[in-house]
Amino acid sequence: MKPRVAFFDFTGCEGCQLEVLNFNLEIVDLIGAVDIVEFREASSDHSDEYDIAFIEGSQTTDRDVERIQKIRERAKILVALGACSCTGGVNALKNRFSMEENLKVVYGDSAKLYTTIPTRPTSAYVKVDAFIHGCPPNRNEVIRLVKCLLTGKKFELYHDPVCVECKLAENICAFERGEFCLGPVTRGGCNAVCVTGGRKCWGCRAPVDEPNVNSEKELLARYGLTVDDMLMQLKIFNGALEVSK
Amino acid sequence: MQNRVISKKDLAGFVDDLIKTKAAGEVIGIKAKDDKFNFGTLKNAAELRLDYDIALLPPKKYFFPQIETVLKYEFGATPKVEPVVDDKAMCLVGVHPFDIRGILLFDAVYGGANPDANLLMKRRNSTIIGVDCLTPNPKSFAASMGTAVTDEGFDLMLTDIGGDYFVTVGTTKGDSLIKKAKTRDATPADQEKRDKVRKDTLKKYQVTLKMKADEIPALLDANWESKVFNDKAATCFSCGSCVMVCPTCVCFDVQDDPALNLKGGERYRRWDGCMLTEFAKVASGENFREHKEQRFRHRMYRKGKYLLERYKYLGCVGCGRCAIACLAQIASPAETFNLIKEGK
Repeated sequence: MKPRVAFFDFTGCEGCQLEVLNFNLEIVDLIGAVDIVEFREASSDHSDEYDIAFIEGSQTTDRDVERIQKIRERAKILVALGACSCTGGVNALKNRFSMEENLKVVYGDSAKLYTTIPTRPTSAYVKVDAFIHGCPPNRNEVIRLVKCLLTGKKFELYHDPVCVECKLAENICAFERGEFCLGPVTRGGCNAVCVTGGRKCWGCRAPVDEPNVNSEKELLARYGLTVDDMLMQLKIFNGALEVSK
Repeated sequence: MQNRVISKKDLAGFVDDLIKTKAAGEVIGIKAKDDKFNFGTLKNAAELRLDYDIALLPPKKYFFPQIETVLKYEFGATPKVEPVVDDKAMCLVGVHPFDIRGILLFDAVYGGANPDANLLMKRRNSTIIGVDCLTPNPKSFAASMGTAVTDEGFDLMLTDIGGDYFVTVGTTKGDSLIKKAKTRDATPADQEKRDKVRKDTLKKYQVTLKMKADEIPALLDANWESKVFNDKAATCFSCGSCVMVCPTCVCFDVQDDPALNLKGGERYRRWDGCMLTEFAKVASGENFREHKEQRFRHRMYRKGKYLLERYKYLGCVGCGRCAIACLAQIASPAETFNLIKEGK
């Protein structure tokens, strides 16, 4: 029997699901390899029977927390898909303010009808078996994970910093262009797509396992920046992570 | 073989002919990339920038691509395994002597006891037209490494001697190619000009080793415990930039990539390097160079000792790419060797 796969969306822009749909021809192979039983952005089917659950978005209400726990009970394998589920993503920006303030800004006079809790990554509530980082996640990594699941191979998180793929792509370093780039401390696997596209790394794939914070500080000083500058940038995607100065 | 002199205009015509006739395969040359330079397929001779300081990536990428499929396989009742070897012909124009030395090191590593068909086939089908580097990058120290000039590893070597290029002919292949161009025989006076240009260029290198290059192995032998390694490694990002841009880094990782339908798949290799945290991690989970100080020292020994002992070339050609790429400003082997020499 083909593994049954379900995609669930929580708080996020649903861009991760869109990225999966963007597989073009690979989606045909993917559908051949697995049964997709729940995928709101692509299908009206609904099922509570599944083996692999892909979680998109972060949990930002008490109801979300209950729902993710139910999904965890049913799924053999639970995968955090994309920055919001892996690290809290941009949703965690709201953690800088009080929840009352957030509700008031978003819902105005109707604020009393809603509730919200600080954004936390999915792993704060349930066991996550695999992380596919990024905003959006790299579709090749989704495919790689599915292949690992099909062949029983361990899915290894890409561990090298963005700099590696950036050099392979023959980019001019963003620092040489006068940008402050988070590439040296951010987990790659994205093919350095932002720098290749002429931008800089914003850290959407979370820090590497051993970020050299001291060196980062030295680097900042050389470019006339402070640790606060870096944290502001790092926290755009990683606001829910504990980052010490 | 007779060395020659070619005007800049006729050189452009020669390159355009190579592109048009594909006499030596696809023509690859050094081109501008914003305010930097890099090797790429040449559309015409006007794109060629022989006045460059350094290419972002060394030309080794044409013999040892960043990612390369080496094997295809099919499962089933009669499983099939097919090696994948790219044998297209290439002509590289504008390779600096120190990058040629990098390629020669690859020949030694991949052509030895365990020959690598993928690299050797590409090398056999390639033509190298070098150019002497007259505008070295400020971080380069090729003069100290004895790699600023080379008398091997090229089919033709160009030297800008003012209005014209001196063409040193290195092989019969190069000889037959340049015979098709409009040139004149080089005179002893031309050769003197070439030698003077080369000599003057050596003085333009801003970074110098405070020892002879052949003294590096003994220096390293005597300084395994040097605190320079720890001092330098303290700010290492372990980002791998130094090893990714290096013309003498020969390491790769191999992965199998099955197709989604599980009927087959392919095996590919990708550049890997000893400064990355997982490089020395083995199947048991053990990492035998777990700390960045160990990795830093290993890289320096690799550059200054290990490769020379196994092959006939030092593992560093002094191009300076690592020093340019390193955000922590710690990667230059010359700097580390000098600090150790000074006893710091």
